[in-house]
Amino acid sequence: MELLAFLAQGFAVALEPQHLFLALVGCALGTLIGALPGLGPVNGVALMIPLTFNFSLSATAALILLVSIYYGCMYGGRISSILLNIPGDEPAMMTTLDGFPMAQQGRGGEALGLTGVASFVGALVSTVGLVLFAPVLVNFAIRFGPAEYFALFVLAFATIGGVTGGHLAKSFLAACLGLLLGTVGIDAVSSVPRYTFGWYELYDGIDFIVALVGLFAISECLVFLEDSHQGRKPTMTLGSALPGVRTAWRCRGSIGRSSVLGFIAGVLPGAGAALGSFLSYTLERRWQGARGDFGNGDPHGVAAPEAGNNAAAGGALIPMLSLGIPGSGTTAILLALLLSMNITPGPLLFENQPELVWGLVAALFIGNLMLLALNIPLVGLFARVLRAPGWFLMPMVVMVAFVGVYSLGNSAFDLYLMLAFGVLGYVLRKLEIPTVPVVLGLLLGGQMEYNLRRAMSISGGDWSIIWNSGISVGIYLFAIALLLGGLLFHWLMKRRR
Amino acid sequence: MKEGVGAVGDRITGVVLLLVAVVAWWLSHDYTSSFGQTIGPGAFPRLVSVPLGLLSLYLIARPGVNQRWPERSALLRQLSLLVLLMVYAGLIQPLGFLPTALLTVTLVIRLFGASWRQALPFGLLLTLGLYLLFEFALGMPLPDMPGMNW
Repeated sequence: MELLAFLAQGFAVALEPQHLFLALVGCALGTLIGALPGLGPVNGVALMIPLTFNFSLSATAALILLVSIYYGCMYGGRISSILLNIPGDEPAMMTTLDGFPMAQQGRGGEALGLTGVASFVGALVSTVGLVLFAPVLVNFAIRFGPAEYFALFVLAFATIGGVTGGHLAKSFLAACLGLLLGTVGIDAVSSVPRYTFGWYELYDGIDFIVALVGLFAISECLVFLEDSHQGRKPTMTLGSALPGVRTAWRCRGSIGRSSVLGFIAGVLPGAGAALGSFLSYTLERRWQGARGDFGNGDPHGVAAPEAGNNAAAGGALIPMLSLGIPGSGTTAILLALLLSMNITPGPLLFENQPELVWGLVAALFIGNLMLLALNIPLVGLFARVLRAPGWFLMPMVVMVAFVGVYSLGNSAFDLYLMLAFGVLGYVLRKLEIPTVPVVLGLLLGGQMEYNLRRAMSISGGDWSIIWNSGISVGIYLFAIALLLGGLLFHWLMKRRR
Repeated sequence: MKEGVGAVGDRITGVVLLLVAVVAWWLSHDYTSSFGQTIGPGAFPRLVSVPLGLLSLYLIARPGVNQRWPERSALLRQLSLLVLLMVYAGLIQPLGFLPTALLTVTLVIRLFGASWRQALPFGLLLTLGLYLLFEFALGMPLPDMPGMNW
């Protein structure tokens, strides 16, 4: 019952006119960013962060705006997947498989309506899950000391690569590189400058936001310049989205199963929405078996990944808010926003600033309703955006990035640094080294080091404190289990191919 | 599936990152503090540089696949973008936001494949839009042109 009181308090916060307005702006903007190929939730939210700072919003308001964008992106990603066969963002990749064939059969509108409902249910299930499970995790985490937090960081890094796939060593390399970059600047404990090479601009360390916008937005422009995306326009007629609602009722089983599965995938650290949609699609194809017509425009195959990725998006907020460990790239950026506003997520956040946490949760419920309204009757409006030419879009991204980053510190050095990170991000992408672990390392390195040092000063220099408590051992075992599970999963997938 | 090309890139990366790890390890020994701390400022970088070095060695020994590297013309476009943006970063303080942004944005739009007739109006629109947004709506002053302080 205490939960309901907190929720009521949250709704009071979220229903303030400014917050409602920001949620609406965020939802519309998020759908737009998600729909545009090449601009995913990570890029979109990263690009918005410098602007948020300049708006001088309160932490609650900024978080509501960015989380609405995040949820909106999850809705928007499906639009270009279905209409263009180009995923608007990475989690929407699976939606192309059956969504585009549906559009080719002239059922594009139906597919959009269906996925709108599926996205709504997925997000709703995961937001309810957030309300139920985040406090449980918080009650558990309240007993964590510095050594346990250190273990938690190890868990986060160990699972990044294991679950997201690819060359495992490359994910870990990226994480180590990020952690090392995170040590640049004056050490907070001893005031010793590290790896600054005499550049006083680096004394404050590498500004996370500068690195982030470079790694994602600038490198995206470099990728775009490589091959021109011209000549892919949605030509088919949309049709009404409303029949999709009826189709959604027929697919209710798929939507329900995928929402739960996606939610679980989202909660696991290091997994995120892409895994949620992937697992949901794969499971659903198995489930339907011979009845399904997967790959040729089966509505079940469109509903499942969309419910899955939206559910995962909400699930990923749980470890971010209750432990301070982001589960995905976008939640890492949200965490960065909180940290730079001097708010440390974790058990204490729930205790000290319940209005922020529950206001955010309530805003998610409201935003989800707004998104449903935006994405079913008004979806044609967003589909029209896909006609915007690249020569308009990408320069806009560059300019917003430049002006936003410049006004953070009025420093031209930040701009050069951002360009350097843009080139780094581009090269890493070409090498198929994931950039998200770099970001996580850069972001979490400071906290990780701080907790390590605190643990060591408690133990008086005895390293065994790192693995001396039952909780830390449990976390390490969990990390190993996840890692092995991920390896097994990839091995099985490879064998099936 | 993405097209994979040879593993040379991975090997070079491995060597570069190995060098980074060795240098980071080396330099970390200079970071000592006079306070009686149980672990000093050098310990954590050293702790990170060990797995970094080992993983680099692994990457050199067992490289994965890379995506195709850009062709000459694409590389030229990318370099032009970087040069333009460096010019922007270099000129924004001495020349002010408006002329710098107008010049570079228009050229960047051209670089992304628009004609002059498209690039000029949109460059102007984008520059003015951002100027108005930041200067007036957000109250974040951008650098003015010299001799134009209003």
